[in-house]
Parts: sequence; C-alpha cells; structure tokens
Amino acid sequence: ASEQAKPQPSSAIDKKVILLPCNNPPNQERVRLWLEAKKQYDCLQKWQ
Amino acid sequence: MTTLTRQDLNFGQVVADILCEFLEVAIHLILYVREVYPSGIFQKRKKYNVPVQMSCHPELNQYIQDTLHCVKPLIEKNDAEKVVVVIMDKEHHPVERFVFEISQPPLLSISSDTLLSHVEQLLRAFILKISVCDAVLNNNPPGCSFTVLVHTRDSATRNMEKVQVIKDFPWIVADEQEVHMQEPRLIPLKTMTSDIVKMQLYVEERAQKT
Repeated sequence: ASEQAKPQPSSAIDKKVILLPCNNPPNQERVRLWLEAKKQYDCLQKWQ
Repeated sequence: MTTLTRQDLNFGQVVADILCEFLEVAIHLILYVREVYPSGIFQKRKKYNVPVQMSCHPELNQYIQDTLHCVKPLIEKNDAEKVVVVIMDKEHHPVERFVFEISQPPLLSISSDTLLSHVEQLLRAFILKISVCDAVLNNNPPGCSFTVLVHTRDSATRNMEKVQVIKDFPWIVADEQEVHMQEPRLIPLKTMTSDIVKMQLYVEERAQKT
C-alpha cells in the first residue's frame, strides 16, 4: 500500500505541453518589400 | 459507399488531412482579416464553396505548410488538443489568440459520403465566421506578427520529431511570455460536432491592445 501512495516519478507523468516553431514567419516589412518588387515586375511585364 | 472505422489504419490520416487542409485555409484567412500582412499579397480563391483570401507570398505559404506538416502527426494520433493562431504585437506579446479546440469522438463506423458532405458544410460555417470576425474584434496595433501554438502532451512530441528533422522545422516548448495574456476577452465564434471530429473556435483578445 505504501508503494501505491508514492508519487510517480516526473518522467512517468505525461504532462501537457505547449509547442511552437523555432522559425519565425516572414515579417511585415519583408513581405511589403516583396510586394513592391512584384508590382514593379508585373508593371514591366505589361509594357513588354 | 465506403465505410471507414477507427480501426482502419487510414482513419486518423483522413481526419488529419481534412483538418490540416481546413487549418491552412483558416490561417490564411485570419492573417488577411486581422491585417497581419498587406492585403496585396492575398488573392481570392474558392474553398468549401465560399470565397476566401489566400496568400501568394511563397515564403509565408511555405511557413504555413511546414507548420501544419509538423502538426499533422499529432492530429492523426488525436494528440493535438488545441491549435492556436497567436497574433503578437511588436514586443512579441500576444494580442489575439484564435483557439481551435479539437477532439475526435470515439466512433464505430461512418460512411465516407456522410464524411465529405456534412463535414464540408460544417467547416464552411467556420470559414464564414472567421471572415466576419473583425466586426467583433478591436483593431490590432501596427507591426504585428503571428505564430502557431499546439497544445499536446509530452509523450506525443515523439510523433513530431521525425517530421521536424525531415522538414528542418524544429519546435520548442513555449515559455510564459508566448502564452500569457492579461485579462483576455473571450469571443466564441463557432462550434461543430460531426462523426469524426468535434471542434470549437474562439478568440481570446487582450483588453488593452495598445
């Protein structure tokens, strides 16, 4: 009975965890620059 | 008519495929509606028979795909309790959390016809709710970014390890700053119950955003 009363070792407890990716998504500025470049490219394509 | 059972080896995969496809559309739409990125990178597409906005920025699209690729094994094993899209301010403090609470009910068998038509209908309602959620949320401060959190169990992280290595997309345990939000306001958006999955979506919004 005393064995049962002992708490489980921490490794045996399947605790809840919250995970997130190490990598970050592209930031707003980077995306804005890409969008500007794309617009210029599309504009050039129209004139050609 | 095909019948799928939970004992069927592909059953978990089917659910994970459906949910990850939905989450991809939902994440794109959240980023558009909440103006995390300039509207110019989004294009109108049709998903679940309704118009949605999807990004055409290759790096962002790849990031979302890689994220969901890593989440998929957890959903497949019914180990993803919540998938959360977090919008953060310039200081990386959360301002909004879109929480997708997922559970897969135990079931004996379902027909694939039921699965396709009924689930698609239910997911469409989620998409429609997301597309109008800006009406019930306050504006976000400029310069926001986002991340995706997964609530799971320690033992389940093993299911992710292989795919993390393959994709070169490592995950870590979130610290307090990424998770904690002061006095959040809770806004329920949608709940669904189907044969294969139960899901509810709500938004937690920080009271003071600026």
